[in-house]
Amino acid sequence: MRYEATLNVNGVGYPVEIEPSRSLLSVLRSEVGLTGSKEGCDDSECGACMVLLDGRPVNSCSYLALQADGREVTTIEGLAAADGELHPLQRAFLDEGGVQCGFCTPGMLISAKALLDENPRPSEEEIRLALSGNLCRCTGYSGIVRAVQTAAAELA
Amino acid sequence: MSGATYTAAASVAEALGALSSGARPIAGGTDLVVGARGGKAPLPEALVAIHNLEELRGMSAEGGGVQMGALVTHAEIVASEAVRSTFTALADASAIVGSHATRHVGTIGGNVMNASPAMETGGPLICFDAMATLRSSSGERELAVAELFAAPGRTTATADELLVAVSLPAPAAGTGSCYVRLEYRRQMEIAIVGATAVVTLDGGTVSDARIAITALAPTIHRVAEAEAALIGGDSGEAAVRSAADAAAAASRPISDVRGSADYRRAMAAVITRRAIVAALSRARGEHVPIPASPALHGATNGGAA
Amino acid sequence: MATAEKPFIRQDGKDKVTGLGRYTADLAMTGMLHAKFRFADHAHARIRSIDTTRARALTGVFAVITHEDVPDVRYGPFVQDRRLFAKSKVRYEGELVAAVAALTPEIAQRACELIEVDYEPLEVVNDIEAALLPGAPLLHEQWAEYGASDDVVRDGNDCSRSTIVKGDADKGMAEADIVVKERYVADMSHAVPIEPHSIVAQWQGDRVTIWSSTQVPFIARSGVATTLAISESNVRVIVPHLGGGFGGKCEFHYEAQVAALARTARRPVRLVFSRREEFVAPDHRREGQVLELETGVRNDGSIVSRRARVILDNGAYSADAPFFPQLAAMMAVGPYKVENVFVDASLAYTNHTPSGSVRAPTAPQSCWAVEQHMDSVAARLGIDPVEFRRRNVVKPGDESPTRQIFEEIGAAETLEKAVEMIGYDRDLPDDEAIGVAIGWWPSFGIASGAYIKINGDGSGTIITGAQECGTGAVMALPLLAAEILGMRPEDFQLLYQDTDAGPFDSGASGSQTTFNNGRAVMAAARDVREQLLDLAAEELEANRDDLELVDGVARVKGSPSKSVTIPDLAEKAHGDRLLLGRGADAVPAMPDCDASGCTGRLGMESFLAPTFITHAVHCKVDRETGVVRILNVAAVHESGRVLNPIGANGQVEGGVVMGIGMALLEGSLIGDDGRQVNPHLLDYKLQTASDSPPIMIGWVDAPTKDGAGGPKGSKGIGEPPCVPTPGAIANAIAKVTGARVHQLPMTPARVWEAMQS
Repeated sequence: MRYEATLNVNGVGYPVEIEPSRSLLSVLRSEVGLTGSKEGCDDSECGACMVLLDGRPVNSCSYLALQADGREVTTIEGLAAADGELHPLQRAFLDEGGVQCGFCTPGMLISAKALLDENPRPSEEEIRLALSGNLCRCTGYSGIVRAVQTAAAELA
Repeated sequence: MSGATYTAAASVAEALGALSSGARPIAGGTDLVVGARGGKAPLPEALVAIHNLEELRGMSAEGGGVQMGALVTHAEIVASEAVRSTFTALADASAIVGSHATRHVGTIGGNVMNASPAMETGGPLICFDAMATLRSSSGERELAVAELFAAPGRTTATADELLVAVSLPAPAAGTGSCYVRLEYRRQMEIAIVGATAVVTLDGGTVSDARIAITALAPTIHRVAEAEAALIGGDSGEAAVRSAADAAAAASRPISDVRGSADYRRAMAAVITRRAIVAALSRARGEHVPIPASPALHGATNGGAA
Repeated sequence: MATAEKPFIRQDGKDKVTGLGRYTADLAMTGMLHAKFRFADHAHARIRSIDTTRARALTGVFAVITHEDVPDVRYGPFVQDRRLFAKSKVRYEGELVAAVAALTPEIAQRACELIEVDYEPLEVVNDIEAALLPGAPLLHEQWAEYGASDDVVRDGNDCSRSTIVKGDADKGMAEADIVVKERYVADMSHAVPIEPHSIVAQWQGDRVTIWSSTQVPFIARSGVATTLAISESNVRVIVPHLGGGFGGKCEFHYEAQVAALARTARRPVRLVFSRREEFVAPDHRREGQVLELETGVRNDGSIVSRRARVILDNGAYSADAPFFPQLAAMMAVGPYKVENVFVDASLAYTNHTPSGSVRAPTAPQSCWAVEQHMDSVAARLGIDPVEFRRRNVVKPGDESPTRQIFEEIGAAETLEKAVEMIGYDRDLPDDEAIGVAIGWWPSFGIASGAYIKINGDGSGTIITGAQECGTGAVMALPLLAAEILGMRPEDFQLLYQDTDAGPFDSGASGSQTTFNNGRAVMAAARDVREQLLDLAAEELEANRDDLELVDGVARVKGSPSKSVTIPDLAEKAHGDRLLLGRGADAVPAMPDCDASGCTGRLGMESFLAPTFITHAVHCKVDRETGVVRILNVAAVHESGRVLNPIGANGQVEGGVVMGIGMALLEGSLIGDDGRQVNPHLLDYKLQTASDSPPIMIGWVDAPTKDGAGGPKGSKGIGEPPCVPTPGAIANAIAKVTGARVHQLPMTPARVWEAMQS
């Protein structure tokens, strides 16, 4: 059967009616209509679906949407300012070669945001550990790590 | 995936009511939902979400011990000064579960009740004599976590029981501990071989020792022969080696995609030895970083290089 | 090239960092249905019957199709040995038996399960060497009747055989002071783009539009036309953003099946693969190999002779792998002076997922074996491995295994620079070592075209058939046009990845986009430049030959005040003149060589604009567990002239990490039943950010002669970075442990096992 829930995504409330088995990712991508969060695997291994739930990083492919009822979800679409101004992380990913095919980028940016919120001055080691749940096949991570360092310096 | 009905319990009593009518609990979903998506096991027909239950949150340290609600996350365990200083092996274990995200979502309760023979926290909990508090509509009981693990993926808890808390009694003075996992990658791993050592030193003598092996048998368990090899001894190299060999001898590894039985058995000795050595160092007050695993595998890279 | 050296922001970048950019799986249409496939239930079985009655009866199912519902067409680029759906036999676990379109993915999945297939299981052909033995079960009993390119040498389960014969290898071996013989085995592996395959198809009348996650939209278009027996003009393939490929999305994958479902259902249909499906089904994974290498050397370190037997795993059907044996044969010699050569390479049919080009096909595995072998030979000679390479690596004027004379190359310089950057001679703890490997790889010259139109406001639009798979190669095309037209890169927009728009292009494959389409875009820019200069000459009443295009204006050389802006020219032209450049530059000729005596010639007998690479890798080996950590990498590439350093460095960084993955953990394990045991990312382990080392990059500048390479003397750059990494790591491991690991990937267990023996 279906249940009513309200997902607060990037500051906007979305009333939805969904089955218990639905993942947060599938509801974000269909009912909510935000396709920035990606699906790259079946088992929480790739991190392309990463969102913030009450500020904490969560693999949305493996989290039940109903459990997010009434809670704050931040997706990649919520990272830039309301006027479209890119977040320093987004800008740094572009400047430092952190983006190639772009499929891991939304999840990677969300994990990077979670890290900097928690630890504004991470070491390279801490950056690499915090991003290890996000697989990238294009960049070898070098550009991504540089981007997080650049953004951290700018935000600090 | 199944999962036909759903309740988000507002109280423990409500959750227990749902369990007694056949629902299964879900907290972070890192095992349950992943397992269903991967085709391992469908989601249960009826789900009761327990993530809102404040009563199951929070940690407290009293009298040298630690009490944890079932919803305490791995990230909270790693951040806890009480755990880091007194139950260091548990911090080692929680620090290497899955990824950054898994550690924020995954709970100690879920980890324990999933009863995987490769779960990271199992060895430390058993060695620290951790007690599990199980509650049902008809009452509450406490049993040792060691008694909880029945078989791979199966516990001795009844279907209507909810794990509400895990508590660790204060260890003896002079105790040091360590959990080490053999890992192919530095993160996103599952234990191929794991070992826990909890040792107590009285002067130069090992007055107590607990050794448990992980991913080397259908359930995580202690190895009495390994403990005996250490207790009463001088914690020298020979004793450590014979304890490690006893752990390897007690292992019943399988051959699978992650490694052959022969390799696992050989690694059981290596990893157990490293866990014991690090636990002894900590018992002597020497610094071994948390988590111990990457450090014991040699220098890392990236920031370290 | 001044414009290329300053950082530029890729045009698709903002779309990608904001999450607003659409990939195929993000597309949805009103009334859209969801596709699922029924895959083979055995790796090898005869099909007795297929009954779809119960599936068709399920509520919410709109189409169930099998081989009976599509034209009976066999296809394949070299050997036409497969169909859209299995007919009488299934030959690998990911082969399609049927497809379903239904209201939801869950209903479609349920319907697939309701299809009843009666099989007679057959013996599974799992071992590539056994597959070639007399009496082995034939994968394709009718192999001789299949259509195939005349140049492919085939015999039963040997789907393509190629040899290299130079001098007299036997005689050379007899004359050698030392002969070393070794055997190496590489497991198959996968491309693993993070975006799994996805396709959406929608018909309008007789015409179908297909949005696909393909690297090769034009090849997908012709595949759909061939297999559904319709005209190419009735097929439009559009690629939204592509989430990586690495070869795994080359060829023609599922566009026709999804189009056929959409036609039957009379609704748009979307297919989205799961990660498991992505592992087992698409016919482009990196081929397993067995290499037997034998080398004869003189005491002075010169190589007299190389004999090699190479067997490659084709899998159950032929994607583009039939040209791999020739490529692998070249790789089995390596970028070294070898006086006498005999290499015999075969491509064996097995019941595995078919192989196909994955980033530098055959090269990382072959290089891993050959470069370990080089270290083994050096050890027997008592010469340092770097010194041994120094004496034998090819230099300008030296010849290839087929007597191609190398011209402007910098292979030796890559070696010197890499050992210098890594600090080869320094003292290290005894559990650390530096390994070195040299690799090479050709560029691929393929016809390619582009248009450039100058819009009414003076901005430009580049219309190209090229495909962007993430490397930035298409994004960098405006740099080339801008320089010729005196405009800024940001003055151009790109219209790409749409077969109805750009001219034919062979897509994001073979590191060919800049190499070929770059030349086409430059030709189109020169064409429209002439048109702009004609207009400017009229406008300025100046001699056309005295004009130049600089900083957005056409002006008289020497008197810059006499000028007219490009926007003014465009406005002037608007309405009565067409400012449209057309470009297709001549494909560079293949270098001369002498391949007499060689069989199975499929175009790889000489290497166009070959690139040379040395990687030096500093490793730490835990000798008790076999766990290897990579501490540092020096990657030095000779890629002709580098046009876009940021883009080029990005390819090296990504390629090296992919090479580390291949070296240490990435292997697709196959069970006795022919099925992959680890079709998921927990047990098929990619490198994470915390496993990946810092990477030092060096470039050796050695532009090709005019007309012998890509734009400005450049060479292909996307594939080579993963080639020598596994070999370099292997040599470091052997230095620490004293034991060679003869199987790839060199997992901790295998490193440990090598140390036990």
